[in-house]
Amino acid sequence: MRATLFVTCLVDQLFPQVGEATVSVLRRLGVEVEFPRAQTCCGQVAFSDGFWPEAQRLARRLLPTFADVPDIVVPSGSCAAMLREFYPTLFRNQPWLAEQTRRLVERTYELSEFLVDVIGRDDVGAYFPHTVTYHASCHGLRGLRLREQPLRLLRQVRGLQLRPLEGLEECCGFGGMFAVKFSSLSASMLETKLRAIEATGAEVVTGTDVSCLMHIAGGLSRRRSPIRAMHLAELLAAQ
Amino acid sequence: MSAREEILRRLRATGEAEAPLPEIRAPIRITGDPVQLFLERAAAVGADVVRITSGGLAERVVRDLRRRGVQAVAVWEDPVLASVQSALRAEGVEILLPQDQTSTRVTRADAGVTTADYAIAETGTLVLTCSPLRPRSTSLLPPLHVAVLSRDRILPTLEHLFTDLHVLPSALTFITGPSRTADIELTPVQGVHGPVSIQVYVLG
Amino acid sequence: MKERIDFARNAEAALRNPFLQSALRTAMVRFRSLRDAVVEEVPEWQVLREYAYATKMHVLANLDRYLTRLEANVAAAGGVVHWVRSGDEAASTIVDLARRHKAQTIVKSKSMTTEEIELNRFLHAAGVQVAETDLGEYLIQLAGERPAHFVVPAVHKSKGSIAALLSEKLGIPRFDDAAQLTRAVRGELRQRFFAADMGVSGVNFAIADTGTIVIVENEGNARLTTTLPRVHVALMGIEKVIPRLADLAVFLTLLPRSATGQRMTGYVSFITGPRRAGEVDGPEEFHLIIMDNGRSSIHADRAMRECLACIRCGACLNSCPVFERTGGHAYGSVYSGPIGAVLTPLYRGLDVGRDLPFASSLCGACEEVCPVKIGLPRLLLELRSRIVRRRGASWMDRLFVRGWVATMMNPTRLRAAGRVVRILHHLALRQRVPLPYPFSEWSKARDLPPPAGPPFRDRWRS
Repeated sequence: MRATLFVTCLVDQLFPQVGEATVSVLRRLGVEVEFPRAQTCCGQVAFSDGFWPEAQRLARRLLPTFADVPDIVVPSGSCAAMLREFYPTLFRNQPWLAEQTRRLVERTYELSEFLVDVIGRDDVGAYFPHTVTYHASCHGLRGLRLREQPLRLLRQVRGLQLRPLEGLEECCGFGGMFAVKFSSLSASMLETKLRAIEATGAEVVTGTDVSCLMHIAGGLSRRRSPIRAMHLAELLAAQ
Repeated sequence: MSAREEILRRLRATGEAEAPLPEIRAPIRITGDPVQLFLERAAAVGADVVRITSGGLAERVVRDLRRRGVQAVAVWEDPVLASVQSALRAEGVEILLPQDQTSTRVTRADAGVTTADYAIAETGTLVLTCSPLRPRSTSLLPPLHVAVLSRDRILPTLEHLFTDLHVLPSALTFITGPSRTADIELTPVQGVHGPVSIQVYVLG
Repeated sequence: MKERIDFARNAEAALRNPFLQSALRTAMVRFRSLRDAVVEEVPEWQVLREYAYATKMHVLANLDRYLTRLEANVAAAGGVVHWVRSGDEAASTIVDLARRHKAQTIVKSKSMTTEEIELNRFLHAAGVQVAETDLGEYLIQLAGERPAHFVVPAVHKSKGSIAALLSEKLGIPRFDDAAQLTRAVRGELRQRFFAADMGVSGVNFAIADTGTIVIVENEGNARLTTTLPRVHVALMGIEKVIPRLADLAVFLTLLPRSATGQRMTGYVSFITGPRRAGEVDGPEEFHLIIMDNGRSSIHADRAMRECLACIRCGACLNSCPVFERTGGHAYGSVYSGPIGAVLTPLYRGLDVGRDLPFASSLCGACEEVCPVKIGLPRLLLELRSRIVRRRGASWMDRLFVRGWVATMMNPTRLRAAGRVVRILHHLALRQRVPLPYPFSEWSKARDLPPPAGPPFRDRWRS
């Protein structure tokens, strides 16, 4: 089985270990991974901020980069959602791109849904003997309907004790440019999330998106919390 | 151009869109006895509900109203309520008939006694229609609303009601429990503008 | 008002108000749990949402036909229909009716549409007394404020402040008990209902097939407003019409559960014309005002049309993490929360409402709970693109986004930029370099992520 990795700009530049963990897990399951070097960014940051022509430039670049490749695996719910939910919107006035977009959309998967729904594995042979709590990132949860898959994977990690997070579906407050344009609101939402995380007593908070985790980690670090924020891929890669 | 013409012209101008109207949903079967469900759901919203035989109705109503110190009632003209009306009169309770139900009089009554055309079990709702013999205010102005309901009028769901209902009176009202609010710090309070309490007698 | 609604500033003020934060959090958590419980009881909930969306979109695609059918059936039942282009026309129609019937006092039940047109201001100016009768609206009116939420307008007021307000205005003791406060208002307003010559209500649904208007409430004030006065005037936006009576089986399942977590609200009134021959109560005249006030423009805007499907339940407000922290006043308009962030820029212009679509993390909780499946996040995104296109964005925004895109267009450029950013990152962590926008905002509440080492693309070996 083959898969193409769309590693995403944030993972590539700021959290490369998540990319490495993703590859490691896929290879462990016998998946041959390809990495088109031309890839950079899906354009979500520009799109969400209302800069659609600018986002289109990046999206038009991504289409040929991932044309005619096997299934695309993305270690990010929001980037996978950008491709699946919003690339058709971005190109709605360019019908000549409709076919390419459709092919892209039907082959794009967030990591946990690829593992559980495509490969068909809940148990990926991981060992991570720590207490962990899971935050459900919004785009994956509501855009891709990723309610079950991450939890199913976490439950099969040997040694991992899963602690339920109160308000796990409440937004952490990142929201791209929202975090800086309305930073007080973002900070207030983060505060609620941090308190819920701390109340679980878990050592680690995990999720499918480094954007949320970066925001959460930034808050944990500011209050000198020992809790670590780790991407789901890192836990699944642990042995 | 009149406002009407202008508005309609603007709405027409946007052209056709493919958007079919869904079929009306068929009523769903519910499990269990609708009467039992109605009793539970009506009680859950703060109505006092009792089951009674038609033979025992008048006596029971008189007893309950006496216990509440009721001295004047506004009533609907309905064969189902005939025995209740005479029993109350016999007790010396002042009866206000529909033709005499001006709002100033009805608001001074201690209770309003009506029947219910239908009830909806799923929500604990009574359905009342108005007519010359069934004023709107009877179930609205007095602090206590008394409703007599035949068990065969209890329908399981809203879908069942609308299947039956085709011709509408000038006013049809759904009544689900006493009036209430939660406007002050979200504290639930029973009895705001409408009746403070509601007593339902289910016949049969 | 042509001034921009400064949502960021309003939000800051709200965040600094501990009573408001606590009241909102309590209220929203409570609403959500009540709603979730009654929605879970309905296994076909998703099917009902689809039905509601499809029905509303069908009506919108044939709106002229349904409105004329409604008009014919209201007239057949003895009602009078008025069509008005704007809120001002609606208000002056009501003033004219009041004058014609020599109505000196009017009672009103809760209607967001009457708030939208600022009806009370018009009536006051015309010398007509108007009494709000919904408890929350009454309190707001007494206090001279605007509603903070569609369903619980006085959610931002403490019991103590309400007690003080009522004590001052009604001369009653300062009760500590919500029930006693409510009873005092019941007594006061009961007189107003009797004295009123005219009752003004809104409309939740208008049934085209039967000429019936439907009003949903808990307190009983809408029943009183539409029963006691001689004249009843109902105001509706053009989008309130639905085709068949039987459609209410779905809408009356969706609305109460979504709005207040009730299986059914205390009262639902189905009004078809004025009183009929021989009836002893009910209004002698029924007037329905069908109002455009900007809706036909939204209707013509295909990408935005679906926001007219809104049934004003408030569920999106209750699920929104932003609304929970700001309350309704911050939105500067009668419609608040996610739906308000869409409607206000459309009704009042992109200039006035240009901050609102951005004041969201696009978490999508609103879309999930919307009983008519309005794609709110998508509508917010669409508005963002229009605002950037037509008004431009701040130069800082443009600089950042265009810089980002320019860097990402080219892997070589990205590699070079990446190296520079890594150096700056190290310096920033040691606080040797002050952070530019947007990173300066980031650091108010968060630390920067740790240094990352070589990017993934440099580590990749096939």
